[in-house]
Amino acid sequence: MSARPTRRRVLLGASGLAAAGIAGLRAQAGARGLTVRTRAGLALGTTVSLTAAGPDPDALDAALSEGMAALRTVEHAASLFRPDSALSRLNRDGHLDAPPAALTTMLAFALGLAERTGGAFDPTVQPLWPLWSQAAERGARPEPAALRDCLARVGWRRVRLSPEAITLEPGTAVTLNALVQGHAADAVMAALRARGIADAFVDTGEFGAAGAHPDGTPWRLGLADPRRRGEVAAVIAPFTGFAATSGDYNMAFSPDFSDHHIFDPATGHSPRGLASVTVTAPSGLLADGLSTACMVLGPERGGALVARHRGCALRVSVKA
Amino acid sequence: MRVSGPGRPGGMAVLFAVLALALAALVPAAGAGELDRAGIARQFPPPLVVGEKDDALPVWPILKQQAGSYEVFAYAFESIDFAPIPGFGGTPPDLLIALAPDGNFRDVKVLSHREPVFLEGLGPEPLFAFVEQYAGLSARQPIRVGRPNARAAGASAQTTVDGIAMATASTRTINQSILASALAVARGKLGFGAANVGLSVEAKPDLFEPLGFDALLSRGWVRRLTVTRGEAARAFRGTGVEEGGEGAPGEAVVDLYVALLDVPSIGRNLLGAARHAALMHELGPGNHAVMVLSAGPADAAENPLGETFVLGSVPERVSVSQGGLVVNARDMAVERRGAGLGEGLPAGDWTILRIDSAAGFDPSAPWTLTDRIVRERGQILSEKIARDFSVETTLPGDLFARVAAQEGPDWTESWRARLPALAGIAGMLALLVPVLARRRGLVADARRFPAFRLAFLALTVGFVGYGAQAQLSIVTLMGLVRAVFRTHDFAFLLYDPPSLVLWAFVLASLVLWGRGTFCGWLCPFGAMQELVAWLARPLRIRQVAVPPRLDRPLRAVKYAVLAGLLAATAAGWPAADAMAEVEPFKTAITLSFLRSWPFVAYAVGLLALNLFVYKGFCRYLCPLGAGLALAGRLRVLDWIPRRAECGTPCQLCKVRCRYGAIAPDGRIDYPECFQCMECVTIIQDPGQCVPQVVARRHAKRIVPRPVPTR
Repeated sequence: MSARPTRRRVLLGASGLAAAGIAGLRAQAGARGLTVRTRAGLALGTTVSLTAAGPDPDALDAALSEGMAALRTVEHAASLFRPDSALSRLNRDGHLDAPPAALTTMLAFALGLAERTGGAFDPTVQPLWPLWSQAAERGARPEPAALRDCLARVGWRRVRLSPEAITLEPGTAVTLNALVQGHAADAVMAALRARGIADAFVDTGEFGAAGAHPDGTPWRLGLADPRRRGEVAAVIAPFTGFAATSGDYNMAFSPDFSDHHIFDPATGHSPRGLASVTVTAPSGLLADGLSTACMVLGPERGGALVARHRGCALRVSVKA
Repeated sequence: MRVSGPGRPGGMAVLFAVLALALAALVPAAGAGELDRAGIARQFPPPLVVGEKDDALPVWPILKQQAGSYEVFAYAFESIDFAPIPGFGGTPPDLLIALAPDGNFRDVKVLSHREPVFLEGLGPEPLFAFVEQYAGLSARQPIRVGRPNARAAGASAQTTVDGIAMATASTRTINQSILASALAVARGKLGFGAANVGLSVEAKPDLFEPLGFDALLSRGWVRRLTVTRGEAARAFRGTGVEEGGEGAPGEAVVDLYVALLDVPSIGRNLLGAARHAALMHELGPGNHAVMVLSAGPADAAENPLGETFVLGSVPERVSVSQGGLVVNARDMAVERRGAGLGEGLPAGDWTILRIDSAAGFDPSAPWTLTDRIVRERGQILSEKIARDFSVETTLPGDLFARVAAQEGPDWTESWRARLPALAGIAGMLALLVPVLARRRGLVADARRFPAFRLAFLALTVGFVGYGAQAQLSIVTLMGLVRAVFRTHDFAFLLYDPPSLVLWAFVLASLVLWGRGTFCGWLCPFGAMQELVAWLARPLRIRQVAVPPRLDRPLRAVKYAVLAGLLAATAAGWPAADAMAEVEPFKTAITLSFLRSWPFVAYAVGLLALNLFVYKGFCRYLCPLGAGLALAGRLRVLDWIPRRAECGTPCQLCKVRCRYGAIAPDGRIDYPECFQCMECVTIIQDPGQCVPQVVARRHAKRIVPRPVPTR
């Protein structure tokens, strides 16, 4: 379970982009009569970028603006980076009336996944984050007693969700950081599709792609090596749909990556088995949720979970 | 110098009107530059990418592509959106600032400003060079504007930028705009805490607990950083330089002890009382000292304090950081021989690093010491490969006290820097007041007093005007109005000490004597006019006396100008600054006539006018004089001596008064009086004062006595 949004640099993005850069992309696209537009920004605690191709530049600009707006809507609903987001208010007050649609969608999915995984995926691990980060600042791990107290406040059944309101039991706090970047990719893709964009690649921290690269080749997604920064471990090609990665290395509390930002709700510690997990799925929400659940479940049970979902695939990197 | 006849005062009024119109057309309309996406993109061209504008703060993320994804290169924003600090005449400058994610300035550019000294006098180049100094400095620490060449003269290049002569006030405004807006953005986007701003955290000097070395280690007050050969090899894995030297993998190649010495319970226990006291004395209050002791193999290449260490330098291989930002820490070059460190300390090389109070280091917050191991790969074209190893220190908060920053706010420095000017002005006032107060002294000396007056006026032009740059101006009054109605910030008054001192004196003299003390003696442009008028006689130019029927309405013009200016300011009308150009002080004094020709023509024209119409600007147009004349109605003394014969029948003083400040009935019109003392000289001179001449003829002495005013 990811307790805090992080910059996940697992995926190296479209390798075509990485290799040729924007200028090269433009030249290749121009040869096919297509225009390429890219819009970048900061959202959900990371850098995001949206790339779309099509014949009409004005239509592309309008579509990308709507894509960015869709991203902001998700951010306002569920980013813990924004103290004014609906989720931040829910955690502060323990109750939220008239929750935004993006929040109820994600929370409903999170609670469903928690049930299917027997609680291995749990959106209520948020209280573990300050405990671990403060201990890490002291160069230590949390006291076992403090960890026990904290775990008493964790449990997905402590959340009551209806379309009208969300209520938390006292002391409980929710994180959707394991889902929000994936769901943002869904929202952006939907906005682009509604504007008639067929070829697009979005990076919201997780990735989504539709159609083809403007030069006519399929989109390619490079997966970063979890131990060697900036090096590609594998490439998914062709890449369409959505991909999400969970890893132990980007927000690690300990230099050997054994303590990091993903927690096993059963123990309050980080799961030991995997260094990183990448899941491809028909939706960003599903890819993001499954990748986090697999980190906790480990390779065998995680593989079984992914196999139960149509159109999903799993790649894992085991801890050294 | 009175000449009968109408003269051509109508032509003068037309001249004023034409000049005013020319000025109004010349000054461009004020407007805050708001860059749109395209404007920002022009400033940050590819390969940089302008990201989506933040939806909470007016900040543009500037991104750069990095391995298929994007990294934040800088946050770009306009200072005017966060800190609209009024500059000259109240218009805030607008600067485009790029702040890197680590809190360092990437770039600062001037988008717009209305500082006359850079528009007209020095030109824009010094301003552009001034803001370039910020690139690379950290927004975490206060940055001061020093004197010109302050950095070359040894001021800290991290906390000082070189000032510009003649532009002290403008550069301060720019500096404040940059720092205040950068801090606002850093807090909003970079998560800067407010703790390090304007507050310093220091160890409690009297809190001491005797502790042994082992106790300090076990409490974590002294930290140890050990790197074994095996750990180093793992860190360098895949680089081809895994192996550095020979030995067992478990053997330590780096073994550092790290301690913050300014905490007595740490420093005194490690160094001993005498040595610690000496160190604290050398360190100075508010600064911090970090000791790093290398107990690992002294001759190993990994020893950061070995042969390559340069005394007195910022070490290349050990650094102190806090909150992800590196803190400037320099070796203090403490005498090392016979070091006699405290009992129980391991042997080895050591350094004591000084962290300046200005670095914004908070010793009560966690901080990190990083050791860098550098290895070289390749024989011919060798490549340096570095790996960092860190240890964090977190000391209990109750060892420290939070105290207000040692150094005062920015304006105290401007007072210290202007001390010579202040002393000079004080000296001039000390000379002037007794002369004016003692009516039977120098004033009564019809031969020497005019010479004194000319000399003093020359001093007013040269020293008060050009030297101290203390020409009082209507712009200050407008600033006050603006502060009262709009900004509620009066701090701008403090940045120009000579002017403030002069203002204080003028207000006091207004209450005693009226406006004349300033207008007749201390106004540089007024003095300049009088010196020009003095040339009329050798040039054989006959000055024109304005007939009363025209003189009276013309006098009222200055009040209308004043009212217009203050009303426009209070209403926040942007043209108010342009209207203030009716006052030629900026052209003549602040910019010493280095300005575009219409402004120069206006100022020179007003000066040349004195050859024909004595002090026309002062009497008819000057809004500052109008304001002082109004305030001068609070005057408590009718200090100009009068006689019963003044007015009836004697009209000598009235005729001789070049300001028309004496009524036909002999009364003094104080709001129009410039305190030139001519009538006082006359009345004290038995050879000039007609009633006395007449009385002497009648062999009768008459004593001058004050006449009650109505």
